[in-house]
Amino acid sequence: MAALLVWIGLMGVAVLRRERVAGALSGSLEDRVALATLVGGLATVWVWSWRDVAKPPFRWLGVSQWALAGRAFARNRLAVLGAIGILGLYLIALLTPFLAPADPALLGDLLTELLAPPSETHLLGTDHFARDVLSRVLYGARVSLLIGFVAVGISVTVGTLLGAVAGSLGGWVDTIVMRFVDMVISFPQLVLLITIIALFEPSIFLIVAVLGLTQWTGTARLVRGEVLSLREREYVQAAQALGFSRWRIIIAHLIPNVLGPVTVAATLGIGNTIVLEAGLSFLGLGVQPPMASWGTMVADGRNVMLQAWWLSTFPGLAIVVTVLCFNLVGDGLRDALDPRLRR
Amino acid sequence: MHRYLARRTAAAIPLVLGIATIVFFVISLAPGDPTQVLVSPGMRPEVIAQVRANFGLDQPLPVRYVRWLGALLTGDLGYSYSHGRPVLEVIGQILPNTLLLSAAALLVAFAAGVLIGIVQSLRQYSITDQALSVLALFFYSMPSFWLALMLILVFALFARNVWEWPIYFPPSGTRSIEYATLGPFERIADRIRYMTLPVTSLALVLAAGIARYTRGSMLEVIRQDYVRTARAKGLPESRVVFKHALRNALIPVITLLGLYLPVLFSGTVFIETVFGWPGMGKTIVDAIGTRDYPLVMGTSLIFGAMVVLGNLIADMLYAVVDPRIRYE
Amino acid sequence: MNTGAAGLTLAVSTLFAACGGDYGGGGGVATADFGRFCEEALARVDAFIGRAESEWSAPDSTRYGGTAVVGAIGELTNGMNHFVTSNYETNDHQQFVNLMTLLQYDSTLAMQPYLAESWEVDDLEDPSTITFHVRPDVFWHDGFKVDAEDVAFTYRTITDTATAYPNLSMFDHYVRGPEGVEVIDSLTVRIRLARPHAEYMDPWPSVVIMPHHLLEDVPVTQLQQHPYGTQCPVGNGPFVFVEHRPQESWMFKANPVFPNVLGGRPHLDRYVYRVIPEQTTLLTDLLTENIDVYINPRADQAPQIEASPRLTLLHYTWPAYTLVAWNSRRPWFADARVRRAMSIAVDRRKIVEAQLRGYGSLANTGVNPLHFAYDPSLADELAYAPVVARRLLEEAGWLDRDRDGLRENADGEPFEFTLKYNQGNQRRADIAEIMQAQLAEVGVRVRPQVLEFGTMIAQMTSQERDFDAAIFGWNTGIGRLDETALFHSDKAGEPYAMTGTNDPRIDQLLDTLQLVIDREDAARFWHEYQQVILEQQPYTYIYFDDRLDGVNKRLRGVQMDARGEWINIKDWWIPAEERRGSGS
Repeated sequence: MAALLVWIGLMGVAVLRRERVAGALSGSLEDRVALATLVGGLATVWVWSWRDVAKPPFRWLGVSQWALAGRAFARNRLAVLGAIGILGLYLIALLTPFLAPADPALLGDLLTELLAPPSETHLLGTDHFARDVLSRVLYGARVSLLIGFVAVGISVTVGTLLGAVAGSLGGWVDTIVMRFVDMVISFPQLVLLITIIALFEPSIFLIVAVLGLTQWTGTARLVRGEVLSLREREYVQAAQALGFSRWRIIIAHLIPNVLGPVTVAATLGIGNTIVLEAGLSFLGLGVQPPMASWGTMVADGRNVMLQAWWLSTFPGLAIVVTVLCFNLVGDGLRDALDPRLRR
Repeated sequence: MHRYLARRTAAAIPLVLGIATIVFFVISLAPGDPTQVLVSPGMRPEVIAQVRANFGLDQPLPVRYVRWLGALLTGDLGYSYSHGRPVLEVIGQILPNTLLLSAAALLVAFAAGVLIGIVQSLRQYSITDQALSVLALFFYSMPSFWLALMLILVFALFARNVWEWPIYFPPSGTRSIEYATLGPFERIADRIRYMTLPVTSLALVLAAGIARYTRGSMLEVIRQDYVRTARAKGLPESRVVFKHALRNALIPVITLLGLYLPVLFSGTVFIETVFGWPGMGKTIVDAIGTRDYPLVMGTSLIFGAMVVLGNLIADMLYAVVDPRIRYE
Repeated sequence: MNTGAAGLTLAVSTLFAACGGDYGGGGGVATADFGRFCEEALARVDAFIGRAESEWSAPDSTRYGGTAVVGAIGELTNGMNHFVTSNYETNDHQQFVNLMTLLQYDSTLAMQPYLAESWEVDDLEDPSTITFHVRPDVFWHDGFKVDAEDVAFTYRTITDTATAYPNLSMFDHYVRGPEGVEVIDSLTVRIRLARPHAEYMDPWPSVVIMPHHLLEDVPVTQLQQHPYGTQCPVGNGPFVFVEHRPQESWMFKANPVFPNVLGGRPHLDRYVYRVIPEQTTLLTDLLTENIDVYINPRADQAPQIEASPRLTLLHYTWPAYTLVAWNSRRPWFADARVRRAMSIAVDRRKIVEAQLRGYGSLANTGVNPLHFAYDPSLADELAYAPVVARRLLEEAGWLDRDRDGLRENADGEPFEFTLKYNQGNQRRADIAEIMQAQLAEVGVRVRPQVLEFGTMIAQMTSQERDFDAAIFGWNTGIGRLDETALFHSDKAGEPYAMTGTNDPRIDQLLDTLQLVIDREDAARFWHEYQQVILEQQPYTYIYFDDRLDGVNKRLRGVQMDARGEWINIKDWWIPAEERRGSGS
């Protein structure tokens, strides 16, 4: 069912925007990425649908923890909805060059089209530069999702590494790392962010890096805790007793067990990061023009909220929907991965 | 217990000092200093030098740090450049505002969050459960400044000017102009009226997390043997839930108190700005902007101390709720 | 950011600089102890004003009474301590609300007596002394009489470099320190000029007289930390300090002993200044009548205010402009033709229309519309003309030699520069974006770069002059206009000579303009000067934006213009039936 919708959507894009699609091959990198996404998406859905027809209804073969979790997740309607939402968002972000009706940076006629309300020519209205809000929201998706994804990637990597090192080595390494974590964690993250951003020229790289590097503490604590408790579990001790190497134990036992909670944390973290970036934009420290994230758009649009509500409302809703989807998936994963919470 | 408290407090001091030190050096590395905002071409270099000397900014960084640290030991947090008065005095005047706001928000958030969490856990996977999840997440997903502005639009502007409700909430401020002339009960009502919107915006964001946590915790507890036993004994469901399950389910929720304080304080930055509520969050951001080092460090110290204190309180509550936990 | 007449000041509206933004206090310096100064001062004010209040009866109950609430985004930094104030709104409160100046501008910008009942200049052609006669009927709010000693004390203190008075440059042509001032008798004081200047009277409508009897014993370097300003100001103006809640509000009440000749006791009982840092909130506060005046709303908020039947929008010309400074030390901007090309390749008129929506005008030089030498016809000389811009660039040797759409000079160096602007200012970000788009059309690549305000200013004012081009603003104030610090080649090493302008005609005209007292003669030189500026284009001038104010109609008699928002606050009144708490 979902596959069919995706297929119809993709075909729709291909047909309705055929001129843009045709020109994409010789276009810029992002045009080509969009084209690849379109072709790839269509092919994947097509192959997938054949699998459905060719094979008997899918049946869970193994009863591994992952399979059980997968089944639990699939039963959680909200989580599945969230997952579909995220998939959709990423498709939209990648296909933006085909979807956007206008160039997001194109200044319109400043005298006649300034702050025009939603209409047929501009579905979501225009902004204080007479730019098309729909196009800007579509392009903003890439910026916001990118920030969320990369920043969380950084924080999860750093957090997992430090947490695992602290947990498995113990001793003074553990003490130093955890004291540092305590210090960072007991301080309002926003204040830390502002202080660091004040140091440098705000750019998207800085923001991503800073968001990533201030959020790893939670993950580090989580991973350390898991590692410590795992060390005491029977099967790990059994593996040790059997003389398995340290690395084998880490790879075979620790990582799979830590992966679950970390995935949950990461999913929730992406949502948090997007909201946080919006907050930075409110303080004038977010992504700088001409690049625009949803956060910048909401923050800039708030000044004319009474007069041109569409300016902040649509990017704001985009944030809400995105963060909601990530949180639903995160919650679903948590429920699914924790056997005690399964129904 | 006392020894435990003493030990925790002793451990907290270097922690808090560490935070302030990091902040001091980071902010001092940033280009610009408090005199930078004083830019008028009439100010010749010698005048600027004089201002810097009056501020003690002509001293090298380590000297300033040591001086600050030395003064701190005597209970002096130094002078705020941007406020033109001792940091301690500035904090003394704004801290109560932030504490009031935060305490009220925590109270509301915990009450609402725990309630929603219980309802959800009792009806796991039902429409109610999912609707509440989505609703809570909806507010949680909104950038807090946006949520705050929306509340102002709806409950101040539209409520008063468009729908003409008998009660609307003022968009900003901590009390009305006539406050001094009001009687004691009117004063309380006045303050509550002014606090409603900021507290709601802060609490809505926190409540979602608390609800989620309570729900998970309850679900876990409800599956435990002693709850099954209680049910099997034929105890009424309400008694099972509130007497047996809730008490145990709340234990992990208490940890959130400590965890959420930094989140709450980050939130106050936006809420205080939007609602013109003079407090620590707004002050620290302004202080960073104006490179008001003493104020930045002073507020950092207080923030850090409050978080440490919050965690201590959470630990003690833990011991109260869970008799199995003993501190030594 | 500055007093009306104090030369040029950077007009800042960054998020941070908007509130606070000034200084005061001594980090690392031991906290000074001022003991019970405030308690004692406030007790004396209570006693004196309390007695006067009980003796006063309202001549007219419809006009006298009520509270007016004004909302603005920033705190009145440093409060009523004039010695250390550089904040614009704060200065206004000192001049018009809590304290007094010797002279005041009237609506034609002519000087009128205020705290001084009259003044004399020894020789109008070649002035060397000014004698002020202080009014005999003005009291400090604690009961002391205002006298010549107060003026002398104020003069000595602000001209002492150790005070670090922000507008010290106003007194460049005066004899500074104790030698510059002489008390003739208890109400007469004489000030000495060091050398003539065209606008020698210029400081007096903005210098606020401070209480000698309270602050004389304070070492000047400690004035910044003194509690007088923010905790217990004792003024002499129409309003008496009541309460200050930091970052929240200031409350003042009517002064019952304000001289009748100057209007007597103000009509309002109370006046409240509220700090509301978020502009959207300020607008809703005004719309829901939580505040009566919204100081300086954004132009894009104007339609909302105009649409409300309960509100009026005041707007008036303001002597502040936005500009793009070119660093002529860089290879691209050494040639005046290139700078001219930059100016005409950008459709400045369109920027003005889109950003200001009619509340402001195109700027062509730094001479503002309030100045006697202002000439609006200059606009035509730099009208939008991309074709001419391309030609000028070609004449200056910038051609697209390798056909990549970007111009290069003979050495193959591409025309690609960084345009800096400060954070938190949407309009400047927007200008950068438009310039990037429009300059690309004439083969020039612009890289906009946003910086924190303090950082940007530090880079531009440092000896390294670390910028190619930058967008910022100046607030010149009314009264004296002197661009020596910006464009005179003698000042090349000083902070504000950012452009590195070196033109003998500019130097000569700037020197002359300082000395010509007669306005008609001066206008001729100003005209010539502006022609040279148009040709040289050290800056590309963008616009003078109007100052806006939203005012609730229940507040009557409000007059606001370039002299300040609070000029006639003592005449504001609210009809009895429309006051707060009167049931309407």
